[in-house]
Amino acid sequence: MGAIGRGSAETEFEKKRGVSHVEIRHGFSQVHVSRIVGEVMAERLRIMDLVSKAGISIDFLKLTPSGMSFLVAEESADLLETVLLQCGDHFSVRRDRSIVLVYAVSIRDEEGLIAAIVRTAITNGIRVDHIGDMHDRMLMVVRNVDAERLAALYRETLLEIP
Amino acid sequence: MKIKVMKFGGTSVAKAESRMISAMRVISAKEQGFKPVVVVSAIGRKGAPYATDTLINVLREIDPNVEPDARELDLLVACGEIMSAVIFAHTLKTLGHSAQAFRGGQAGIRTDGVYGNARIVGINPVSLIRSIEAGKIPVVCGFQGVYAPGDGSPGGELTTLGRGGSDTTGAAIGAALNADAVEIYTDVDGVKTADPDAVKEAPTLRQVTYDEVAEIAHLGAKVVHPRAAEIAMNYGIPLWVKNTFSDDVGTEIVTREHFPGRRVTGVTHTGKLVYLQFDLNIATEADRTVLEGRIYETMERYGIGLFMLNLSPSSTGFALPRAQYPTVKAILDGLVIPVSVEEARFYLIQIGTKPSMDVETQATLLKGMGDVRIVPTHLTEGCTMVSLVGHEYMQQPGVYLNVLTALVNGQVTVLQTSDSDYSLSVLVPEADTNRAVKLLHDRFGLAEVS
Repeated sequence: MGAIGRGSAETEFEKKRGVSHVEIRHGFSQVHVSRIVGEVMAERLRIMDLVSKAGISIDFLKLTPSGMSFLVAEESADLLETVLLQCGDHFSVRRDRSIVLVYAVSIRDEEGLIAAIVRTAITNGIRVDHIGDMHDRMLMVVRNVDAERLAALYRETLLEIP
Repeated sequence: MKIKVMKFGGTSVAKAESRMISAMRVISAKEQGFKPVVVVSAIGRKGAPYATDTLINVLREIDPNVEPDARELDLLVACGEIMSAVIFAHTLKTLGHSAQAFRGGQAGIRTDGVYGNARIVGINPVSLIRSIEAGKIPVVCGFQGVYAPGDGSPGGELTTLGRGGSDTTGAAIGAALNADAVEIYTDVDGVKTADPDAVKEAPTLRQVTYDEVAEIAHLGAKVVHPRAAEIAMNYGIPLWVKNTFSDDVGTEIVTREHFPGRRVTGVTHTGKLVYLQFDLNIATEADRTVLEGRIYETMERYGIGLFMLNLSPSSTGFALPRAQYPTVKAILDGLVIPVSVEEARFYLIQIGTKPSMDVETQATLLKGMGDVRIVPTHLTEGCTMVSLVGHEYMQQPGVYLNVLTALVNGQVTVLQTSDSDYSLSVLVPEADTNRAVKLLHDRFGLAEVS
């Protein structure tokens, strides 16, 4: 039997279900573009084109009825403001954003977990600007001042071993 | 001892002819000097007489209003794999190769005690090793294990592994036996850059990373389940996805180190979604917290799968599987949420433009009781989430612009967007699914990817 190797012994095979850890990424700015008049999608594309040509990457794009919002790295915020001024003044840049990442392997297979993560933030009075998800994590964009508190809440309520 | 674990999916064991082809692949591996260990799914896919869904329906048809017990359900659905393993072992025997069928528990697979979605906690493969050493080909039931409650009950409790269970069995047995390779056999050539129904010329990727395959599965295209890939990665077991019915070399799932650079992997889609957008303009900020909290708490309690979540100061929204929409409508449409007892303020959720009988009834009952505010909830039926998946690609400037430009120029309406480190998704009308997939496939030059 020994020739078979390490598998002969009983071992842990899978990560436990549920939230495994929580982390924070700092250093983002949130941009809102609003009150676009005329052809909204065409104007969104025009703005994105200018942003792209300035070498700025955008994340967490959300379409709103008369505009859009998105996230950029904080170091791009000054340049972004210069670019957006070319398109008018209907925009705002909020520089104090962080992403709280909640990790759970095969998160969609855990029924109700995604809703639980969102509910935890909302019911504790934390305003979430954007949400994204991946196979093993959820990403919540919040104000810097809320990030540590939200991460702590997740560790307390969703982690088996905080 | 060179061991190869060969897992065959439902279509590979559905009919005598397909079982024979699968069996010949096993025999071929044996002739190449491997000790094959076979893992099988239940016979056939949805609708087939012994497929998992069919077996579940046998219980549901008795009385759709009575939810089957999870323990009993596991005992029932495990029968599909047991039959499949016995039939496959006998097929090998008829071809002159001694084989032995094993239930998950007999193969030494121990799980936690979560019926219907158990996780493997350990494998003691002694029975499989004895079988191999006796010159037999073990044929193991995928998707199942056994839970030892520790209360002295003999034999343990049969559990099933949930989604991707048979792939997970294959990878875990491969790890336990320190196999030279785990091969997942299905009816496609491997992981493709897009669904061939949408893009006929979609090439098969020769290598994908664990993260890529996990994200592809998360976003709708389940060629191999991420749980299986994860186990194979953790134990360093080479994992392949191959086609039972062709000699294509298939796709190898590899570690991230094989792709230090960035690339677009493919376009995937999850269809049959509906999108709900709750208009919260009529609520104060404090009330919005209560309303949103209640909505998400309900989704959590009923285990609703949520996609493309969207929060803003004036609304909240998400997509959900169409199959779960009747449940959600039954719970939320006409739901009364009291937010202030002192001020007698109530919110009443109304899904769709026309109030349903439930909404009208609740509105009538609340008449004269205080301040009743309707939460208009916009329903978009027939949506699909189309996603661009990439390895370290999404952070480049202009990716969103490229995606939206391709779709807008192709006359596809984009209802909402969402993204993560590995993907960028758009919600589009279901009727435009294949066109949207093709537009993005062409835009990002995926026909040339390999």
